[in-house]
Amino acid sequence: MRAAAVAERAGIPSVSLVCQGFAGQASSTAAGLGFTHLPVAIMPGHVNMQSYEELKNNILDVTVGQVVKGLVEEQGESTGPDPEPQAREVVFTGSFEEVNDFFYAREWSDGLPIVPPTIDKIERFLRFTDRAAQEVLGVLLCDRREATIWNVAVNGVMAGCRPAYMPVLIAIVEALADPKYGLEHSGNTPGPETLIILNGPIIKQLGFNYEQGALRDGFRANTSVGRFLRLYLRNVAGFLPHKTDKGTFGGTWRVVMAENEDVLAEIGWAPLCVDMGFASGDNVVTIARYTGGDTIANASGASAARIMPYIADAVLRANLGWHLTFTCGMVVGTLRPLVALSPLIAGTIARSGWSKADVRQYLFDHARLPAHEFDRQLFQYLHGADHPLRTLEERVRLGEIPKLFCESPDPNRRVPIVLSPDDFMVAVCGDPSRDNAYAFSHNGFIGYPTAKRIHLPKNWESLLREEPNR
Amino acid sequence: MARKQNQGKYQVVWPRGKKVVERTAPARRLESLNGKTIAELWDFVFRGEEIFPLIEAELSARFEGVRFLSPERFGNTHSIEEREVLAALPDRLHELGVDAVISGMGC
Repeated sequence: MRAAAVAERAGIPSVSLVCQGFAGQASSTAAGLGFTHLPVAIMPGHVNMQSYEELKNNILDVTVGQVVKGLVEEQGESTGPDPEPQAREVVFTGSFEEVNDFFYAREWSDGLPIVPPTIDKIERFLRFTDRAAQEVLGVLLCDRREATIWNVAVNGVMAGCRPAYMPVLIAIVEALADPKYGLEHSGNTPGPETLIILNGPIIKQLGFNYEQGALRDGFRANTSVGRFLRLYLRNVAGFLPHKTDKGTFGGTWRVVMAENEDVLAEIGWAPLCVDMGFASGDNVVTIARYTGGDTIANASGASAARIMPYIADAVLRANLGWHLTFTCGMVVGTLRPLVALSPLIAGTIARSGWSKADVRQYLFDHARLPAHEFDRQLFQYLHGADHPLRTLEERVRLGEIPKLFCESPDPNRRVPIVLSPDDFMVAVCGDPSRDNAYAFSHNGFIGYPTAKRIHLPKNWESLLREEPNR
Repeated sequence: MARKQNQGKYQVVWPRGKKVVERTAPARRLESLNGKTIAELWDFVFRGEEIFPLIEAELSARFEGVRFLSPERFGNTHSIEEREVLAALPDRLHELGVDAVISGMGC
């Protein structure tokens, strides 16, 4: 739809080919792009599940007629936008339950009770930033709405955050607004969910959990900030299930994952924010989207050499199939697998004399699969035999992808899932007394790792002292 | 606790942001596809390599002189280069004399 909208603005009529179940998303997306209506031509059912004959019959019987109609029938004028409230305008007055019913009916709530966003509560959040309430952090797709300091605070209140979390919330939205992150793809059908990774002294200052249960709810900071991001995607970016969010299953918001920087300092490994271009000791949020992941349970051993093969296998398994399209399929080199190591595992690896760079190099060398299997998964699972995508060997020969994917003609040669060891991301958190790890399945450029510094207000320390129950 | 005003009620504000999109009228439609140049824009997934040829063949049978420009001429509309591809698109469409666009695939 975005391409169609560009054509229409250039004065060229368009029609978009849309599978049957996606007409609603097309309509909502068109509205976000400024068009009351953009013509679509429906392809009945889903094209992925049809034989060639079925596909041909559907296209010829249904779709082509709508293509013609979309290109020759006048679409009518765009209607003006519906009036909307101003930022500080009171839109409703009611009891706690009435407010929640009001918000839920308008799809401003995730279904859990929200904290009513009153002006006094919002203003308490605004004390924790030096930035003006009306400052625009970016314009977010798919709805093309302004992300402002004000509406960050509003959604932070609703999520149950404390005012002191405001600097973290702002940094998260700045990351969402960064084009590198790919926010506009947040309604895609694999339905990956954003993970927020936190670094810096702010972890302890605000009481984020980074130990046992690092990915579990129950800790106000981790839980409410994670919920905030999903509310923000709903209310400001405009991603709504059954409309612009087409996650087949989706997933619910993830709690913030904070690193254990004490352990990192003990073992001489830099925190993840350093890998993202910041310095150790900086307060940083990193966000990326993952379709899922799996616990690597019982990654035991007294040495790195004993532990790492299991870790590498698990990281590979978590990033096969669909994820290979981000290695050398739809795009090249955007897969950034993340593995979270418990402090016990990281410490054991470090005592073997391994640095974090050594871990990444090992993963690069061993999280590999045979080239013929890479091609098979791309073509058999993801793209048809007639797809213009070529094999790894052909693409190397044509100079489209790096030579490391075809260092010999042997189809059993083992090829990596990333372009460089630095593409692997390694974090340390979780129960310090257990040998489990977690491998996340990354969603490539559709949620590319993006990091932002957390900026604190000038009087941060005194504000923290004043704020009760932070 | 939020301060309750007006006899135990909460006065709440809107959680959304100002919409900044400019409302635009769609482009004028064509009177016919006869003799027209149609650009195919594609995200290189969902069997476009089979669908576009089917559409081309049928439209060619129905309309005289219609020609098609393949997706490779314009770039992947859903990739890491999407922003660059879309930024270059208007000039590219005009440069190639495109009269209409078929864009896919929304699946």
